Amino acid sequence: MKPPYFIETLALNGEVLHRHRVLELPIRLGRGYENDFILDDPYAAARHAIIEAGPDGGMVLRDLDTMNGVICRGRRHATLDMNGDTVFRLGHTSLRVRAADYHVEPELLDRTRHGWEGLVPGLIGIVLVWLIALANQWLIDTQPFQLVRYLQVLAYATGGALVWGGAWALANRLFGRYARLGRHLFILGSALAVLAAFKAGSSVLAFGYSLDALTRYSSHVLILIAAGMMYYHLNTVKPHNERRFGATCLVLALFISGLVMISNEQRTGSVADSHYMSVILPPDMRISPNHSVDEFMGDVEKLKPRLDRERADLVADDSKGEQ
Amino acid sequence: MRFIQIAVLVCCVGCSGGALAQAAAGKTPPAKGRAAPAPAAPAAPAAPAVPAVVPPQVPPEVVPPGSPPAEVPPGSATEVEQNTALPPPSSAAQQVYSAAKGDLLQIRMLLRNGRTQSSVGSGFLVGTSNLVLTNYHVVSQMAIEPDVYVGEFVDTDGKSGPVELMAVDVLHDLAVVRVNRSGTGFFNIPEKLPKLTQGQYLYSLGNPLDLGFAISEGSYNGVVSRSFYDQLMFTGPINSGMSGGPSVTIDGAVAGVNVSKRRDGESVSFLVPIRYAQDLLAEVAGQKDPPSDFNAIIGEQLLAHQRAMINRLLETPLDLKSMGPYVVPVRESDQVRCWGRSNVKGVATFTADITACAMQSAIFVSESQQTGYLSMTHQYVRSASLDPLRFSVLASKQFNASLGNSRDARLTAPMCTEKFVKTKTLPLRAVTCVRAYRKFAGLYNFTLLTASTDDARASLQSRLDVAGVSFENGVRTTRAFLEALGRGGRK
Repeated sequence: MKPPYFIETLALNGEVLHRHRVLELPIRLGRGYENDFILDDPYAAARHAIIEAGPDGGMVLRDLDTMNGVICRGRRHATLDMNGDTVFRLGHTSLRVRAADYHVEPELLDRTRHGWEGLVPGLIGIVLVWLIALANQWLIDTQPFQLVRYLQVLAYATGGALVWGGAWALANRLFGRYARLGRHLFILGSALAVLAAFKAGSSVLAFGYSLDALTRYSSHVLILIAAGMMYYHLNTVKPHNERRFGATCLVLALFISGLVMISNEQRTGSVADSHYMSVILPPDMRISPNHSVDEFMGDVEKLKPRLDRERADLVADDSKGEQ
Repeated sequence: MRFIQIAVLVCCVGCSGGALAQAAAGKTPPAKGRAAPAPAAPAAPAAPAVPAVVPPQVPPEVVPPGSPPAEVPPGSATEVEQNTALPPPSSAAQQVYSAAKGDLLQIRMLLRNGRTQSSVGSGFLVGTSNLVLTNYHVVSQMAIEPDVYVGEFVDTDGKSGPVELMAVDVLHDLAVVRVNRSGTGFFNIPEKLPKLTQGQYLYSLGNPLDLGFAISEGSYNGVVSRSFYDQLMFTGPINSGMSGGPSVTIDGAVAGVNVSKRRDGESVSFLVPIRYAQDLLAEVAGQKDPPSDFNAIIGEQLLAHQRAMINRLLETPLDLKSMGPYVVPVRESDQVRCWGRSNVKGVATFTADITACAMQSAIFVSESQQTGYLSMTHQYVRSASLDPLRFSVLASKQFNASLGNSRDARLTAPMCTEKFVKTKTLPLRAVTCVRAYRKFAGLYNFTLLTASTDDARASLQSRLDVAGVSFENGVRTTRAFLEALGRGGRK
């Protein structure tokens, strides 16, 4: 316990709003002007509390018989033994008192690339979004070329990217220190690029090797990619929470995947996204061999026992319902 | 998804709630919507972007016999009168009606709980027996869900009583019910049927739109074979609710049972020839008590239908048509009609030609289930201006077809298998999805989808739907169709 002492006014999220230096104990706290630390809080008494040296060398906060008292961890205390991490509330004001010899945490390694902020990553992100939107439009456009359709797509893509990036930037400004709009746009652009790459790659693989399951369950990979994007957004807002955010995003992804499967089951009767692979690519992209009609019809025959089993289950359910 | 129904619409004259409401509101039934566009009408305009994904061919819709009571909008009563007024009867019709009215009944399906009517049709007492002949679709609810529905008759004097279902003939849409009274002997079904001549007047009786008993007059116009089973063409108006009523000659010999009309035509109605009823009545004569489970009987009849249908389909090899360099199988007959269409060149960077063949009628099982039909569609898409990558995106989009409502409680969920297959001359991607009927053991719906994989800038996509067939027949048809797909000599 070494003077001077610092009284810190805290925001709800733990951020320090204001720091006041006091040279010696005891410290008087209250709304009145004879105090060492003046509380601008209508719910605080004129002489609210006093901080004194405790018998064991710590600090003790004593309530001066006020109406609202001293609250710490949700409970009222007449006297409160404090260390540098004790947060207490007088009226509506959260406070913490630290002495000069308070031991702070070691310096964190800075892995943020400060050069990769602002305009450059933002532009790259937006350009990626543009490219993907244009490529997509080009792929699905089966009408004769008209510039206006591409311009519209560009406008929508820009708007969408700015709304998404802007929302994250706002969160970043609220919970972090800076908006970091460029970073968020870059994350969005990259995620979309990964998404597009997966879409293209999985289609080629699925068609090439006749891996129809790849397209029938692709929504789960898309969800995983979206979760990855969330992870990077969150880490940009609050660095050094990698584990917590990672776990959160993973749980969220699993939850949404589960929901998708349940809704597929409701909608189509199977957990897959579709009943079959509808991807048809140029013949050159196919590696998988042809089968004979006999082989195919053999597969069809194999459906019968499965269908009959399912029908038997349904009929059994029916008779159960009637009982 | 654009559904183009090329199928002929045959709408059963069962009193459908929708039809009733429309009629009551004084509107003519729309040509689209439930009713399919006329087959003669030009194919629907091709969409500019993606003209038409191969449509799952919906069977021609048989309009169900009944449904919730139609609400007549207030103030439309006069319109109802105008709209449903039949032509003034001739003196012959007056005679027929006054002689027949004692044996003419309205058949209602009621909910067991609450006894509210869910559908209405007509029927008539045969000879002096206590048996009433009507349409299967009038009593289908009672046959399929006996726990939920119960039948009732109302005569021309307004007296009512219970009905007991004795026999059904799903394929010809006939049913026999037993009531607690006997006929006066006006409606006779002689052993040897009188020969009808085209143009001869017939009198059709029933209770149109639940408004009251009525008689309408029209001429007999021969046997039509567009549906799988013969029907008589009749030019008298048959309205909803007259289903199951008799059509008689001037001397009271029953010629047929009112069954349906074409919504897209004027006074084109259909009758079930009475000779089918003879068989059914003979069957009832031999039985004392009604069968306990009609679902099994209906299942048997559907199995018999599919055997006949598939045998007729496959008795000769499928006809081959060429679409560009490809050769595609079709079957064109009286029952299966083919229609073609194309997207308009110039509005898109590709051309799509479609040939669609579908059976003109389906078997009505219940209001929401029709079966026993097949359809085949071929779509030949090619583009000179699209590069292979964009063309493949287009082809993939076209290949992504709907398999119908997967949560349909009457069927199991689709189970599919897919492979790259090479027929004799054509490599393609083939998908087969099969669904089993829940209520009818041994019946399945088959869907085969194929897309050619031999050309980077052309794609032949075909679809075969066979509904209500045995597994064996489904496999047979699928194989025949698949094997016939090929590539012709010229490139």
